Amino acid sequence: MGAAKLLRFLAARSVKAAIVVLAIVVFQFVLIRLAPGDPASVIAGQSGAADPLFMEQLRAQFGLDRPMHEQLLIYLRDMLTLDLGFSHRQQQPVATLIGERLPATLLLTLTAFLFAVTAGVSLGVMAARRVGRAADSLITVIALTFYATPIFWVGLLLVLVFSVWLEWLPSFGMFTVGADLTGLAYAADVAKHLILPSLTLGLFFLAIYARLARASMLEVADQDFVRTARAKGVPEGRIVRAHVLRNALLPVITFAGIQAGQLVGGSILVETVFAWPGIGRLAFDALLARDYATLLGVFFCTAVMVVVFNLITDLLYALVDPRVEVA
Amino acid sequence: MTDAMRPIARRTLLAGAAASPVLMTLAEARAQGVAPRRGGVLSTIITPEPPILILGVNNQGPTLIVGSKIYQGLLTVTPQLDPAPMLAKSWTRSDDGLVYTFTLEQGVKWHDGRDFTSEDVVFSLMKFHMEVNPRARAILQRIDKAETPDAHTVRFTLKAPFEPFLLIFDVTGCAIVPKHVYDGTDYRNNPANATPIGTGPFRMAEWQRGNFIRLVRNEQYWKQGQPYLDGITYRIVPDSQSRGLALQTGQVQMTSSNDIEPFDVPRFQQQANLQVAQNGWELFAPLSWIEINNRLDNLKDARFRRAMAHAIDRNFIAQRLWFGVGKPATSPIASSTRFHDPSVQMPGFNPREATALLDAMGLRPNAQGIRASIKMMQIPYGEVWNRLSEYLRQALRQVGIEVTLESTDVAGWVRRLAAWEFETTINFVYQWGDPTLGVERTYVTSNIQKVAFTNTAGYSNPEVDRLFEAARNAVSADDRRRLFSDVQKRLVEDVPLVWLMELVFPTIHDRRLRNVITSGTGVHAPYDDVFFAS
Amino acid sequence: MSFWKRFARNIGALVGLAILVLVGLMAVLAPVLFPFSPWEMRGIPFMGPGEAGFLLGSDSLGRDVAAGIAHGALVSFLVGGVSTVAALALGVTLGAVAGYGGGWIDDAIMRFTEFFQTIPSFVLAVVLVAIFTPSITSIVVAIAVVSWPPVTRVVRAEFLSLRSREFVQAAEVLGRGPIAIMFTEILPNALSPIIVLASLMVATAILLESSLSFLGLGDPNLMSWGFMIGSGRSVIRIAWWMSVFPGVAIFLTVLALNLVGEGLNDALNPRLARRRGTLPA
Repeated sequence: MGAAKLLRFLAARSVKAAIVVLAIVVFQFVLIRLAPGDPASVIAGQSGAADPLFMEQLRAQFGLDRPMHEQLLIYLRDMLTLDLGFSHRQQQPVATLIGERLPATLLLTLTAFLFAVTAGVSLGVMAARRVGRAADSLITVIALTFYATPIFWVGLLLVLVFSVWLEWLPSFGMFTVGADLTGLAYAADVAKHLILPSLTLGLFFLAIYARLARASMLEVADQDFVRTARAKGVPEGRIVRAHVLRNALLPVITFAGIQAGQLVGGSILVETVFAWPGIGRLAFDALLARDYATLLGVFFCTAVMVVVFNLITDLLYALVDPRVEVA
Repeated sequence: MTDAMRPIARRTLLAGAAASPVLMTLAEARAQGVAPRRGGVLSTIITPEPPILILGVNNQGPTLIVGSKIYQGLLTVTPQLDPAPMLAKSWTRSDDGLVYTFTLEQGVKWHDGRDFTSEDVVFSLMKFHMEVNPRARAILQRIDKAETPDAHTVRFTLKAPFEPFLLIFDVTGCAIVPKHVYDGTDYRNNPANATPIGTGPFRMAEWQRGNFIRLVRNEQYWKQGQPYLDGITYRIVPDSQSRGLALQTGQVQMTSSNDIEPFDVPRFQQQANLQVAQNGWELFAPLSWIEINNRLDNLKDARFRRAMAHAIDRNFIAQRLWFGVGKPATSPIASSTRFHDPSVQMPGFNPREATALLDAMGLRPNAQGIRASIKMMQIPYGEVWNRLSEYLRQALRQVGIEVTLESTDVAGWVRRLAAWEFETTINFVYQWGDPTLGVERTYVTSNIQKVAFTNTAGYSNPEVDRLFEAARNAVSADDRRRLFSDVQKRLVEDVPLVWLMELVFPTIHDRRLRNVITSGTGVHAPYDDVFFAS
Repeated sequence: MSFWKRFARNIGALVGLAILVLVGLMAVLAPVLFPFSPWEMRGIPFMGPGEAGFLLGSDSLGRDVAAGIAHGALVSFLVGGVSTVAALALGVTLGAVAGYGGGWIDDAIMRFTEFFQTIPSFVLAVVLVAIFTPSITSIVVAIAVVSWPPVTRVVRAEFLSLRSREFVQAAEVLGRGPIAIMFTEILPNALSPIIVLASLMVATAILLESSLSFLGLGDPNLMSWGFMIGSGRSVIRIAWWMSVFPGVAIFLTVLALNLVGEGLNDALNPRLARRRGTLPA
């Protein structure tokens, strides 16, 4: 693909992506305003005391006394300048809040994702190469097991086994508070905390990728160009690597792009079980607290993430697709 | 050592109803062989995460627990709910009950190094809390005049005598905030709100949202040699299982409030290195009940409400749901407050009596045994409350009242409660040490408002109104006691609500941690005397 | 080879079918096996499996876990089934219109579908249930709302490839209306991937419901497996059976649905079928 062509492609996609993100923000804005109660009622409920003056003051402070379309316009105007607003509940700019939490979620989801893709595809390829044999059945059963098990349930069981019984790994948090570690020691500490949550989140997706990889491997292996290669006497290992795997990866990549958003969804559950300080939990708490600005900010970020992932997917697609390679 | 002498010297200065502070003194500690030891960081848990730590601007439970280490009040309360010194070392009340004079501690500094003076006190009460804090406002409005004769004396003149006045001065009611930071600013949006400045033994060092709040020792603290701890770290752990695990494995040395679900408490009672304390909630004395919308058919009939009360086994609730943490309610005024009348007994568990009452109302069972159907909005405060509503549904079904549960979150619950859009729900409110402060609001006609935690049940009885008002204005505690006894009898007759439990939140801590609960506010104390025994 | 023979060749599918039949029987026979409300507090709390007459133990209020699982089977199937039917109705309609209509209609519908796929489905479900307050209706609606986009995509693809077939053109020549053609001519021929997808959607819906319950967004009036895990997870240390058995029930059911789905996929392999021009009806 030429550079100019690539740029044009990126520009067109970016415009489309911006429209999608905007639509999502407007949709979510309207949606969460439909929820009963507002931030003022949450604060009243949690303080166990309120009077009409107090509620009025809070609503004025949060800007909730204006008509809704005005609030939406203000929000969109701010968003154009990349100002995600201010969380009155947390007394912090939303960008700061998300900035504090996003790295944790990215670390968790990307680790889980890489684990799921590499392990999943490897297992899928292994199964496909031994199709119908015991190894294939075993891998299929393992994949199905994780696919059919609720994700939080896996998390709880892992905690029971590795934290409670074996006492190998910490059960929650992202690092040891108060240890004041730096450098490598800090990284090792985080890595130790990362194992169980990323395993939990990754196992479910591993199952999907393993099944997907196996299925598309089998499908591709059946196609003419593979048979031709085999007839030409190309070694089996090379056939798998150069022809089958490359093509079989396409559906996996497509799916991975779509799944990027789902990983964020799954991270709500995992972050809850492991007290992982990420944006999934931030969003859930914001939802219950009717912290509109924070919630919308997280939605905005997820939408951007998904759109970017999709873009990367498309680019990868272009790289892997043999037709592009020939051209 | 002067240290040991100071509390005793202070005690002799106390006037009025003041009693001896129960804070363990150094001398007493020495006598017991556990001398306070400097050092160590207390790792504990806070759930849910407080939005900000400025007391007054935010008065949610977690904010109060963390904020009370940073800020202080003029007074605190003993477990018997008598006032005890804090920033005010002594105080007097005039005989007519109108003038209160406080003498402040000297040499107290704010965390930013400025001196704490009487100006800060008057600003905090008359301007800051008056604007942002609805609960304090209701009481502070009774102040006619606030004066500062000198930098360490404050004098309040009330418009009319108000016997429970001193109860608002605990840090949980009226924390003293720095005038030089807040005066003339928008209190709620002050940029300084990110780093609270108080007079307390601990300063805020670091707050990683969703992760932890780290407080460090205030080296300039006004009590010599205190606090003993180097710091307190509050970890934010949203999952109750993880919290239990952290306590079990010693990653945290203390939990409080709702951190540990009641069913986990027996487990920790058996863990040798941990102590489970049930005291320290005397000032708050949360009482739970079934809130009943007294405006609706059936529910407006006292016989129906009485039948509901008869259908419910409060001992079952206390033992099976709360595992013995807390106790069954017997009256609308909690037993830990001064004016509880033990002779008053609400309708007991007696399903036969319940069905007889329903029969008398003409509510006969249909083929499925159902006499009436009601809805119950669940209170969204955690697992045990869901179990409670499930128990109530089964218990009421036994006498022929079919209950459909409605699920909500906090925002939805408060909105519907405030809008009177419910049939029944479960509720619990703090009693704040005195029925005038924490009980009256639930029952008097004048407080039927479309605001949560008012008389949202819509109960109205002129005689009850009259008694509450008389008790509010009475100067002597004895008069008030008599009036409150009458109120309790009337309320138990009318059963406007079905009282369930006097709640207690267990504080579970490492046995090496000392002086964890020494006052009527428990974990809301400044913790300047808490230490790890070796 | 008949459909059944091809299906039966897949041992996993047979096992899955057997499990499904058993779970189905349990759901139907629950009122006979446990002729009392699963909410009834029948004995001592926290009894282990086999103790005090509780086959699978009792929960924190002394309720029978076995009774809960049996009665909960119906609820789980109901949630899974109804939400899948709703999602299918929406997804098939949109997919059919997009695939058959083509042009700007196709474009518009596909943009709409992509839009929904951009929002993480679990997040959307959580928001919807929280907003419309947790109840069986809001849960089913939320699950349906997040599950229809894949259906639309699959159906559209099928319709795109089938609309130019001779039998469709023949019907058009005969002057039949587009709606009649879509639903009587094309749809029956596109059924097999939909059936396969549906079996997987039921499984996903059951998982979704349990996740919602785990976050405290379940219907408080229905004893569902998700609810049981949700209420048992916090006592997992003292009463593992409270969450293990409902978890196993979910696992087995979801597994069975997947196995059956795969069996159906093999048996109805659309590629082979399409090569023959028609599908077994």
